[in-house]
Amino acid sequence: MFVTVTANSRYDSLSGEGEKAMLNTQLKMTQTQQALYTLDTYKPLARGLRKNGCEEGNQLWLHVHLPQFSLDILTCGNSNKEACVLVEGQGTGSKIVQANSHAARLGVRLGMSLSAAKILGNLTVLSRNERAESLTLERLCAWAYQFTPIISATPPDGLLLEIKSSLKLFGGIEGLLTQVRRGLRDLGHKAVIAVAPTPAAATVLARAERQCVILSEQELPKALGPLPLEALRLDPKQLAVLKSIGARLIEDCLRLPRGGLGRRTAPKLIENFSQLLGQSPDPRQRFSLPKLFQSQIEIPWETSNAQSLGIAGGRLLHELTGYLRSCSAVTRRLRWSLNYTAGHSSHFQLELAQPSRDYDHFALLLRERLSRIQLEGKVKGMALYVDDVSPDQVVAERDLFKQRSVGGNEDWPSFLDRLRARLGEQVVKGLQQVADHRPECAWRWSDIPSNPNTSTPTTGSPAKVPARPLWLMRHPIRLHKEKGHLDINGPLRFVSERERIETGWWDGEPVRRDYFVATNPCGERLWIYRELAGGKDWYLHGIFE
Amino acid sequence: MSPVQNKSHESLEALLRHEKIWRAGEASLLAGIPTHFPVLDSLLPNHGWPQASLIEILTAQEGIGALRLMLPAIAQLTQTQWAIWVCPPHVPYAPALQAAGVVLERLLIVEPDTSEQMDLNYVLWVFEQALRFVDCGIAMAWIGTAQYDRLRRLQLACEQGQTCGVMFRPESFAIQPSPAVLRLSLTGNADSTSIRILKSQGGVRNRNCQLAL
Repeated sequence: MFVTVTANSRYDSLSGEGEKAMLNTQLKMTQTQQALYTLDTYKPLARGLRKNGCEEGNQLWLHVHLPQFSLDILTCGNSNKEACVLVEGQGTGSKIVQANSHAARLGVRLGMSLSAAKILGNLTVLSRNERAESLTLERLCAWAYQFTPIISATPPDGLLLEIKSSLKLFGGIEGLLTQVRRGLRDLGHKAVIAVAPTPAAATVLARAERQCVILSEQELPKALGPLPLEALRLDPKQLAVLKSIGARLIEDCLRLPRGGLGRRTAPKLIENFSQLLGQSPDPRQRFSLPKLFQSQIEIPWETSNAQSLGIAGGRLLHELTGYLRSCSAVTRRLRWSLNYTAGHSSHFQLELAQPSRDYDHFALLLRERLSRIQLEGKVKGMALYVDDVSPDQVVAERDLFKQRSVGGNEDWPSFLDRLRARLGEQVVKGLQQVADHRPECAWRWSDIPSNPNTSTPTTGSPAKVPARPLWLMRHPIRLHKEKGHLDINGPLRFVSERERIETGWWDGEPVRRDYFVATNPCGERLWIYRELAGGKDWYLHGIFE
Repeated sequence: MSPVQNKSHESLEALLRHEKIWRAGEASLLAGIPTHFPVLDSLLPNHGWPQASLIEILTAQEGIGALRLMLPAIAQLTQTQWAIWVCPPHVPYAPALQAAGVVLERLLIVEPDTSEQMDLNYVLWVFEQALRFVDCGIAMAWIGTAQYDRLRRLQLACEQGQTCGVMFRPESFAIQPSPAVLRLSLTGNADSTSIRILKSQGGVRNRNCQLAL
């Protein structure tokens, strides 16, 4: 097939550039995808189709038809709670074009007038958002990139995938279909999927809601024949002409002599029928993958409940992980924004200790984060933006060999991510020593290494150091003398020599102090100092715990 | 002995060897973590801190060496595993820890910016997560009042994560029952600290020793 050929030659040229080590299939796939990615954005497949058009079974197209696409977009996250219908037209002429299962259970049928449907029960009436539809369709294409590099959007409510070359990787047609179906379900779409050797046939079959798999072109006339002409979505004028000569089904038209039919209707129609049966080429615009991930979801019922935000966010995460899998990439920063009904929006990000594309991990972190976030009002929309996408060099999925049990074998990066998501980025810290004589400057908080094995543990300094307490006060506590004595739970007794620390004059925080170790009758050992400058006050600075 | 008797005897032995069966008077099979205080080691079952267990250290006041008592164990465990500090009352001082041989790179400190966040539920949640985490060798928390069942959860978390959990608590809680495997009470004197064993599963209790901490 031409695409594979192009990709391979591209791959060869890449391997010449020093990437010969990439031998495993996964990375080869990546290479192929990247190679395809760099091809012309909208290069039609016409050349390949002409070359291979007469050969048998070179292509297999999968059409995903989304019968409730407009409604799915408008009701995402909450579609299972209320009866929703989508209407078209104005005033009394408005008709129902899509209805969800709840509405169908009430007795709502497609094509009903809205006023009639309203009698049946309490309906939520929605109208189409065409911009959101085209954006969502684009994201669906990006999501589908994980199955095949050859994708074409068929607006308004479907997409075409060329799957012949992907069959082996996904374990045959059944395996592939299962994965596509599961993915679409996770994304919250009801879908009808048909597979046929020509793109037009797959489209017609799926739109007629025939979930079938046709592998050879010979079977096409039999499968397409019994379908009504409406399934072709023809121009109304042409449809009227065909109806007037008594053709109702596709097979009626296929029986008619082509030349005559062409003269009476339009040559375009004949072309359509040839393309349907694979007798003439059918070039499609190819979808190309965007460089960054950006997606948003409208929440039709404004919510201030973190849990329902988690569900909506889960949809976005499914899209994201599909996209990341498509480009064999991982990310370590997820930027979220919440759009409030009042018009403003708030932002937060999830940072990962280790780049990942694991849905479960993302979803866990999002839930933890949402549980502690303070919502500023009702939320009407949610957006996810990921630009920090890096190619996955080593492991495809994290849990290749590791069995994950409940809280059992969690690894360090995910443990750290979970703590940070729940408690906040700044709350989880590491500790570091700093070479400075000033006690309060001899340490600092540090970042936690995501992989401690890479850092070499520093060994204890061999030089003889004066005693230092295990606890340091966050701020030195000023001591007051009682009857001329220092007193903390009893009179203090010095048990060490004086240690003078006088330094830091160069950076504006000079220290001039005399440090002592002192004990009281209770046995507490304390680290106290006396200022040499100013009022010569005494302070408690540490505890020898 | 008849073959039947012999067989039943064997199966009983096998049953008694089951790891979940613990016989009073017999210490757990896991070797203890050396405390590096020979006097204390000799009083503890398995000659060290019990592994995968909750340890409770009760003190009347700060500064008498409660943390210093655990320091050799922290230093040893951080060679391979993590040590997690949950809301410590003061800043753990890096130079002193490093001088004691603690690997600073393997310390994780949970410290909220504001003290009102540090309520009991917060501390217990973090402490339990730390104990459940397998790569954590030792987790420490400073806990005041807590219900018995919450503490019991912590003990179970220790067993699940094979982590040594240390609770530092005020002396006043000594009279309350606790699910901890080992309970020590520390009292400071002018030049040494006396340690009393309040509870020691599989060991002896009500023993005292003096350590210069």
